Amino acid sequence: MALLRKIPFFLALYFFASLAIFAAIDAIPGDPVALRFGKMIDAERVALERERLGLDRSWPERYVLSQQQFLAGDWGRSLSSGRETTDDFSLFMPATVELSLCAMLLGIGVGLSVALFAALGTKPWLARVASGIGSIGLVVPIFWIGILLLVVGSLWLGWFPMGGRFDMAAIQPDRVTGLFLLDALLAGDLGAFSVALQHMVLPAICLSVFPAASVASVTFSRLQEPELQAFIVALRSKGYGTARILWRHLLRISAGPTITVIGTSFGALLGGAFLTETVFSWPGIGRYLVNAILARDVFVAQNLLTFLVLLVIVVAFVSDVIVLKLDPKKGGSS
Amino acid sequence: MMKSLPILCLILLSLVLSACGSKSESPQEAPKVFIFARGSDAHKLDPADIDDGESVNTLTQICEGLVRFKSGTLEIEPWLAESYSISEDGLIYDFKIREGVLFHDGVKLDAEAAAYSFLRQMDPEHPAHLPEAAFSYWSYLYQDIVAVEAVAPMDLQIRLSKPNAAMLRSLAIFPAWIISPKALDTYGSAMQRHPVGTGPYRFKEWRPNEAIILDRNPDYWAEAPAFERLILKVVPDNTTRLLQLKSGTVHGMDGLQPTEVTALRGDPSVTVYEEAGLNVGYMAFNLEMERMAIHDLRQAIALAIDKQSFAMVALEGTGRPASYPLPKGFLGYPDVEDAMIVDLEQARTLAAPYKSLFEQNPLEITVMNAPRPYLPDPVTAATFVKGQIEAIGIPAKVKSVDFKTHLDLLRNGEFEVGLIGWVGDNGDTDNFLSVFFGSWAAVKGTATNYSFYRNDEMDELLLTARQTVDSAERGRLYERALALWKRDLPLLPLCHGNNIVALSSQFEGFTLQKIGDLRLSEVRVK
Repeated sequence: MALLRKIPFFLALYFFASLAIFAAIDAIPGDPVALRFGKMIDAERVALERERLGLDRSWPERYVLSQQQFLAGDWGRSLSSGRETTDDFSLFMPATVELSLCAMLLGIGVGLSVALFAALGTKPWLARVASGIGSIGLVVPIFWIGILLLVVGSLWLGWFPMGGRFDMAAIQPDRVTGLFLLDALLAGDLGAFSVALQHMVLPAICLSVFPAASVASVTFSRLQEPELQAFIVALRSKGYGTARILWRHLLRISAGPTITVIGTSFGALLGGAFLTETVFSWPGIGRYLVNAILARDVFVAQNLLTFLVLLVIVVAFVSDVIVLKLDPKKGGSS
Repeated sequence: MMKSLPILCLILLSLVLSACGSKSESPQEAPKVFIFARGSDAHKLDPADIDDGESVNTLTQICEGLVRFKSGTLEIEPWLAESYSISEDGLIYDFKIREGVLFHDGVKLDAEAAAYSFLRQMDPEHPAHLPEAAFSYWSYLYQDIVAVEAVAPMDLQIRLSKPNAAMLRSLAIFPAWIISPKALDTYGSAMQRHPVGTGPYRFKEWRPNEAIILDRNPDYWAEAPAFERLILKVVPDNTTRLLQLKSGTVHGMDGLQPTEVTALRGDPSVTVYEEAGLNVGYMAFNLEMERMAIHDLRQAIALAIDKQSFAMVALEGTGRPASYPLPKGFLGYPDVEDAMIVDLEQARTLAAPYKSLFEQNPLEITVMNAPRPYLPDPVTAATFVKGQIEAIGIPAKVKSVDFKTHLDLLRNGEFEVGLIGWVGDNGDTDNFLSVFFGSWAAVKGTATNYSFYRNDEMDELLLTARQTVDSAERGRLYERALALWKRDLPLLPLCHGNNIVALSSQFEGFTLQKIGDLRLSEVRVK
């Protein structure tokens, strides 16, 4: 029911978001064709190309057409490389998905551990870490963390490769999902898995800082609420051990806020992915998208942005639904 | 349950560490592969349809032209043509094609095959005249070519409609490089991403936004490259790129920032190659704007800007101040460099009557926010210029936008003063002066004459010079054109930025090329 009620809202959100993206890209000054044609332009050829691409039509016409093409999966070609946008998408998106998933898992793991142990109150300094980590993680620039990780992890310690997603000399695993770690496991190639993992560590740590910080601070403040503190005291007085309190009770209680954070920080994660991808030479969608916007590669930029916004909306929506189900106070199924 | 957590962590950690143990990429031990890092990826790999440096520098390793620049100079030497001759009237170019040259796909190079790369650009009906390709250089540098014909199996003839003194040089640069006539059959329109040339390296694989991988051409007709493989790696972040060079992960890089160059100069593990580039950074005055149409104001600004200090601030020593709107040593470049006078007193006097024009509305200086070869730090440069203009009593402000927006504003004349520059294509004077001052280049939307300067005498001089084959006579025409520029001052040249490449010092044999292309096949291990 909750799901059904949200659908019209979801559709309206999509409509306004896609229109806003279209308008924003359309409003960037400069004719994309003329700018693509280099430093010397032949006006006649520019006019021909604009007509071929349908750029000479009115904007409502172009908006409707662009939506039809987007939904039909016909995302056009990049003006600068001539490659199909969908081909590029399937090449770069898995790299970002893989990185974001690893970062998200790592971030949740670290964030939750800090918050839970802090909430138990056995080590008072952890509480300060938990409340401090939020602001630090949100304030320290991600590229600075990235460079720091590179200098320490690659240059000084020499433990990790200096950026990139895979070894230039090694043979990549067969592309099934495009997630190298998964593909290597599917192929049973432990060598490739280890190479991919080695490349993943630093960028994943870098990108995990933000989700770790938000999960830690949100969960910690939820657990600080007086009734929950009373609950912990009650459990302790019943003689339950730390492990049981953590696993049986607190983890369950923190699931709600954590999922909300995942839902809401997903967009921020994509933003962070661009910076991480730049510092670590990671061939992902964030870098591809920003380059497309700077190069006035309008079709690429528009379709990718629309897709990413759709993705962010869906993730936020799904996490909302899950939270409703999980939290009895908000009228879920339990 | 709690006890299993640390164990799980340990397993993961050991996995990661074991992964680190199995280092497979160690360039120091593998000099068979040369890795060069740069900030962005190539756009396309079709010599007839590119204009970005990364694409050109990738194709430099793969493709060659009938003629080329002798290494490190602007002199022409025959290359895929064994020899050439030009008719006395300058209208017919005959090339004797070199015997025994094979394309990377095994096709033999002959006159017919060489003609293909020209015909596909000039003939809209040609099967390889791809609709999505811009061929923008053809209409710009090669418009005087009317016919390209194989007159004998190894004899290629190019005929012009009128003499063009820059043509031979234009034939040495990338739009005139020769690709295999079979590429279209093999790859269809994907030939733009799968180059087949005759050069020292052949294309192997393109991992977009990651690397382009090239293998040594075993059948190369000239001196073979020292490395089995050449990897052109994309490392977008400047700091990361430099870290990679210092750690030996890559062997060479470009896109160095001036501060990094200063830091690297004393580093024995890295050799910095640095030379004045064929470019000029300048300030365009939009003559169609009321205030900039006032000659005295332009003169005042020119007298106010101290170019020596400008070069120190904007280029941090990685370039030099510019007297004239073309690089030193070019045909027509005056012997006396008297265009760098600073006279604040006179500047203030000239500007004084017009101060009231700026009271409500300061002078707007538009600039791009990303580095270019002629201005590595454009915003700092603009801020410096603003300060100098304000010193003569004209309030000014800086408006910085991204490069594409900046170009669009300039091409459409929607600016007052613009900081911009030009990177020469073929090393010819015409390629600077016609671009800046020809009235045919002052068309809104497609302009390169961003000052929108129109002068019949200038047009006449430029067109005559282009068609004058006698070099001394041509030089005199350009001197007169420069005198006109100095009188009218539609733009103010500021600086020439250096071409900069850094290689790990275990290598030698590399020479910076004047037009900036990277001949990495000349690199050897010391």
